[in-house]
Amino acid sequence: MSTQNRHQRLAALRDIIADIERKPALAEARQRVASDQDGFPELPGGLLQEVYTDQSRNAGAALGFALAQAKALLTPRRMAVLYLQLVGETQNLGLPYGPGLVSFGFDPAALVLIRPANMAELLWAAEEALACRAVAAVIADICRPHKALDFTASRRLGLRAAEAGSSMFFLRYGSERQASAAHLRWHLMPGVSNDKPYDDRAPGNARWQVRLERGSIGKQHAQWLLEWTENGLSHIPSPHSTRPFAGSTLPRPVPALLADGLSQTA
Amino acid sequence: MRISALDREAGAEGIRRGQNLADARALVPGLTVMEMNPGLLETGFADFADWHSNASPLVAVMRDAAPFGDLVLDTTGVDHLFGGEKPMLGRLLTRLRALGYSVSGAIAPTIGAAWAFAHFAPNQVVDSLELADRLDDLPVAALRLTEKQLATLDQMGLYRIGDVRGRPRKSLQARFGASLLNRIDQAYGHISERMTPRLPPAEHYSERRFADPISRMEDVLATAADLAGALCQRLDAAGLGAQSFHLFLYRVDHKVMTFSVNSARVTRDPAHITALFSHRAERLAGDYDAGFGIDMIRLAASSLDALAAVQAGAFTEENGTADIDQLNDRMSSRLGTMAVLRMQLLESHLPERAARLVPVQAAGGMDDPELPRLTRPVRLLPEPERVLISAEVPDGLPAAMIWRGQRYRLVRAAGPERLGAEWWRRSERLQLVPPPVPRPPAPGEKPVPAPHVPALPMHDADGQTRDYYRVEDETGRRFWLFRLGLYGGPEMPVWYLHGLFQ
Repeated sequence: MSTQNRHQRLAALRDIIADIERKPALAEARQRVASDQDGFPELPGGLLQEVYTDQSRNAGAALGFALAQAKALLTPRRMAVLYLQLVGETQNLGLPYGPGLVSFGFDPAALVLIRPANMAELLWAAEEALACRAVAAVIADICRPHKALDFTASRRLGLRAAEAGSSMFFLRYGSERQASAAHLRWHLMPGVSNDKPYDDRAPGNARWQVRLERGSIGKQHAQWLLEWTENGLSHIPSPHSTRPFAGSTLPRPVPALLADGLSQTA
Repeated sequence: MRISALDREAGAEGIRRGQNLADARALVPGLTVMEMNPGLLETGFADFADWHSNASPLVAVMRDAAPFGDLVLDTTGVDHLFGGEKPMLGRLLTRLRALGYSVSGAIAPTIGAAWAFAHFAPNQVVDSLELADRLDDLPVAALRLTEKQLATLDQMGLYRIGDVRGRPRKSLQARFGASLLNRIDQAYGHISERMTPRLPPAEHYSERRFADPISRMEDVLATAADLAGALCQRLDAAGLGAQSFHLFLYRVDHKVMTFSVNSARVTRDPAHITALFSHRAERLAGDYDAGFGIDMIRLAASSLDALAAVQAGAFTEENGTADIDQLNDRMSSRLGTMAVLRMQLLESHLPERAARLVPVQAAGGMDDPELPRLTRPVRLLPEPERVLISAEVPDGLPAAMIWRGQRYRLVRAAGPERLGAEWWRRSERLQLVPPPVPRPPAPGEKPVPAPHVPALPMHDADGQTRDYYRVEDETGRRFWLFRLGLYGGPEMPVWYLHGLFQ
């Protein structure tokens, strides 16, 4: 009994040590994230995150999620976010739009757009940008899977990000997953928005369903329904909660209220 | 077909310029004839001219007499490097003759006189004291005149420039036009004539010549690093910094290669400049061709501005702008200036005009205009794409969409946001009031001419109005659509998708 317990504990400790050795940035990030909050954690910089979404028509949602995280990483010292997109993919995905960023809540003066001609230049630019101490995040928008984006390239970028402290986001599309050394891998789906207060038929605030496919940040669950408002990312708990139903089981007669607010019964 | 250029041996055989090709072939049966390609020769000569900037920074091609063939160099201040004007002329001519060119040259105080001596009394250096006497002896063809003027002068018996100069100016002007007097005055120095140098003159430069020509890119970059150090020391002494740096590589075979890098801030940091050039060199790859070797390398700085001494102290603010500017410089020099961009918000209600991408180095001094905060998508397609929409006529919310071959059922929509066309930008005619009917003139009155109506198309306000809708489909994807045109007009309106919301 005790040997089995000890074995289990040793195995768990070995896992933790292997994790720290392999991905020091992620382990530190887990420590820094507060574990008592239920909302979406504010992740620190230095992580290589991949955001996968199924089709390129969800490109707006993916960019919104990456910008929401990048906005939290902006400081007076780290004041720029770089966005990389290959020149040929612009009509497919669209470019970030200044007034759109303003209405999203992101300052367009902090964004630098880089349009390299091929993947080799994109990887060079990403590495160069991550090495700079004044960059908060680098967002690379890649429409099609590419041979040059292999495990070695992503490991290199991950090490660079961890050592410099700036985050790297890869926005990828499709259902195939390429081998990569990313610390976190998200799967993003758009979510139906809520109602606007005065207009039933208008789309409400942006909502996304994100699921953490790879890596863990110390939370119990790995799936969030996020809403982006002007106050930031907020997490909407799922309607099926694990607590037992705390209300009454039998319906009680509820007195009708008149227009003047007085109850009819006494 | 006529002979337009020939070498000395052909001239000795009796062939003349302008002679018929058949006659020339009859004179010399084994004649080698090549068809002249004037455009190629002009550009080739222009490149050849650039190489001469290693002798003097101000070089130009004189196009008065012929589109190519005449080079003028300004030797002010550079002749001492060669040991005097005569040695400079001798060295240049010897070098060109050693390469096989037939060349003649002269140095004179004015451009007109130098041209005259080079063509008609070559290989001499004339100073300003003896200019007038020597010029008087030359034939009138040395004045760069037109054929007609030369024929008339010949008819009148005026063969030397001295003959023409003594005549009264008014009658000369009446007979030949003002250009003759201009040419005389230019040659004698009474009017100043200027040349436009081909390469921009740089006051601050450092250069290095090589005894043996070099060709490897690494050597070029190492030399550029040394030159950057020397140039920056000179800029430091003058209290200046620069924003553009140009590296000139002079090849042995008379061609010049130029590389330029720009920096967003005024700088004189040699390490930064060298890094920019090495990034620029990586972008070249195939364009770099050293030919037979590089003879001289010059690094010049332009766009100079005062730069105070930088003090690194305890009170410098912890701001990332300097690092970001240097990163942008490196990216621009490696990827190209149009590949690193920033968004500039403009005042326009048309969405595609409301933001503009500018190169990040040109973005200094962009003010943020006070613009209203509108709900706009986070991604905009560069070209709006046509979609098929089913919606209620005339301005009902869209209910279903087909985009890129896929159907969407739209459950939510907001709009329309009406954006009219910018009538002040297009070349179209506005008709705000009906045109006035001209009343018939009363007897005795002249008829008033009708007002001028330009031949422009009428501005169609309704046809170019856009109604924008924000829509969301059943899975939660949000799009930004617009309808171009209104229902009820002559043509059916068309729907487009313009952006993707977050």
